[in-house]
Amino acid sequence: MTAHVVNVVLSGVFHASILFLVSAGLQVVFGVQKIFNLACGSFYALGAYVGVSAVGWYLEAGGPPALFIAPLAVAGLAVGAVGVVVERGLLRFVYDRDETFQLLLTFAIVLMMEDAIRLTWGTSPRSTSGLYLTYGRVGVLGTTVPVYNLIVIGASLAIALLIGGLLTRTAFGRIIRASADNREMAEALGVDMRRLYATVFALGTALGTLGGALVIPATVAMSEMGIELIVEAFAVVVIGGLGSMRGALVGALVVGVLRSIAISVYPELEMLLIYLIVIAVLVLRPRGLFGGPRA
Amino acid sequence: MRTTRRSFLRLAGAGAAAATVRLDAAPAFAQASHAVKLGVLAIRAGIAAPVGAAGLRGTEWWLERVNRAGGILGRPVQLVLEEESSPKDTVERYRKLVLQDKVEAVLGGISTGVTLALGPVAEDLGTPWLSWDGTTQKGVEETMPNPRWAFKSVDNEVEAIVAGMLTPRYFRGIKTVAGIGNDYSYGHDCWQSYQTVLKRYVPDVKFVLELFPRLGVTDFTSHIAAIQQSKADLLMCSFWSGDATIIMKQAAAVGLFKTMKGVFTTAGGVHDSLKKDFTPEGLLLGYNTMYFDDPKGSPLLKQFVREYKAKYAEYPPYECDHAYFCAESYKAAVEKAAAGGTTWPERAAVVRALEGIEVESLSGRRSWRQDHVQMCNFYQGITTHRNSYDFVTIDPVEVVSTKVAMKPAGTKLFDWINSWKI
Repeated sequence: MTAHVVNVVLSGVFHASILFLVSAGLQVVFGVQKIFNLACGSFYALGAYVGVSAVGWYLEAGGPPALFIAPLAVAGLAVGAVGVVVERGLLRFVYDRDETFQLLLTFAIVLMMEDAIRLTWGTSPRSTSGLYLTYGRVGVLGTTVPVYNLIVIGASLAIALLIGGLLTRTAFGRIIRASADNREMAEALGVDMRRLYATVFALGTALGTLGGALVIPATVAMSEMGIELIVEAFAVVVIGGLGSMRGALVGALVVGVLRSIAISVYPELEMLLIYLIVIAVLVLRPRGLFGGPRA
Repeated sequence: MRTTRRSFLRLAGAGAAAATVRLDAAPAFAQASHAVKLGVLAIRAGIAAPVGAAGLRGTEWWLERVNRAGGILGRPVQLVLEEESSPKDTVERYRKLVLQDKVEAVLGGISTGVTLALGPVAEDLGTPWLSWDGTTQKGVEETMPNPRWAFKSVDNEVEAIVAGMLTPRYFRGIKTVAGIGNDYSYGHDCWQSYQTVLKRYVPDVKFVLELFPRLGVTDFTSHIAAIQQSKADLLMCSFWSGDATIIMKQAAAVGLFKTMKGVFTTAGGVHDSLKKDFTPEGLLLGYNTMYFDDPKGSPLLKQFVREYKAKYAEYPPYECDHAYFCAESYKAAVEKAAAGGTTWPERAAVVRALEGIEVESLSGRRSWRQDHVQMCNFYQGITTHRNSYDFVTIDPVEVVSTKVAMKPAGTKLFDWINSWKI
């Protein structure tokens, strides 16, 4: 029984790790730019495809399979630069527009990215073959877990701590928080908003693309894989509170683990349970568990 | 004219046709100078985009061969492509193909959600429609038992019925079974059909778990934890897209198939992504209606597989043959209806000729049943690593005809299964 509980919880935490990265990207962009970026799921898919290609090239070039995670992470982070292009090329034109325009634009990006992925990598699912098991399996309290799952969970936790440190202990983090709090005041104090927005959006994008790259050894890349995750990311940010990084972490854990428990106990409730919690949060605490007064 | 990504006309086919048809072979009829237009509906986006691409590739391969050999009754063939998407939009594009592009027939249709809506429209417009993979079934029951213009694919649940027949043969002593499929009609229908068939062969079998994740889920670790906990002897899975690969990978990662048997009814649709690294030997794997590596395959199949691999760097899935058969049977029906002449026959004569017609297709002989349902073989077998690919194939290969695994015209599925003498 213990083994089964551990198995269910670890499965949920693995799912939560990926969900956290995508939701964190959504949160950081919303926190500063006040844009609800539907395209966060597309960046996740892009990261997955770029990860497949990067690992493919790495192995073809004779790189040791045991270190495949290095090109994967580098590629996942590097492709986050596409965020700068999207922000400078498209988003900056709608900052002062109605929220509907912003949503429509990010939805347009979802559609364009899906087609761009299909044009570049084709329609068939792409995968990294058997790399998933490179690090083998390990026994945890009577259950077997792929070591790679634990690496992803660890990486996600490390990224959460890094972002936490970045936001609370660095000058850049203070600028981000100040701008999120009061854009006009920050601008009046000399913060270059254009640069800040591009950087923040690239950071949000990189979190998504890194999530996609990290998950790919355990799954396969499909052009529409982001859509599925956006829906869950919505639940995460509503539960955790819009704009809150701590909320993203806790929300992802709630969604990931509850989903896993539901599948194991009463599979029909999988999504229902999550949305019941979303509704409960909306009714009892509309700003989410960690949402600020303005969120 | 407004051009969108959903609206595109493939002129290359006509161009190639014009270049390859021998002028001296053209008959002396005025109409012979016109290309024959065939409408094609293919899914281009979403989960089923690879299936749509395979159907289109099969049709294009057929087109090149036919045009190189002089077309149909001396007329070159031109494809007019439209996208299959939602039922409403696809119906509009179907009408456009028939009314505006004036195609002689429409080929294609994959999603039964869409083709259920196309059936009555095809009847209304009076133009032959030959569906690649879509039926006009609601669940497992037929909604259009006596169509005139609509020609439909094999019933959706046949692969699950075949798997149900083969399970007791390969996995003796199975007592408990868990099932996983996508949460829409196909997933539920396959699971129900599989259970009904298996129960006929193994009356005391218990079905201990059923999971229906949404289409598009890419993480099954939690589902696998539940499957492990069920301690079933066997897992039946009807996934047919990338999710089949994902569950295989994630199941292998926790060694699921070391203790559990596995039946994958349709994973042959993504067969070359089932790498040996994570797909074990000894699973029952279905390739649906064409097996690219069939040791008894015809020279036509071997040529197709060779050329497909050279062009697309992958091995063809079954959808290619659904599409090839639709086009080839249409050509045969036109020629049959022309009765040796060169006058283009009436559409009504073509659909009459299609009824019961049998032609050589990529996977072997295929035919249209009198009630306009496609008849062919299903290929399933036990996964093996003994091949030259980096993915699994099957050995032995079980070939089961729709004559034994598909409900006969006019019958109810479960009544029919329960009437079997076993």
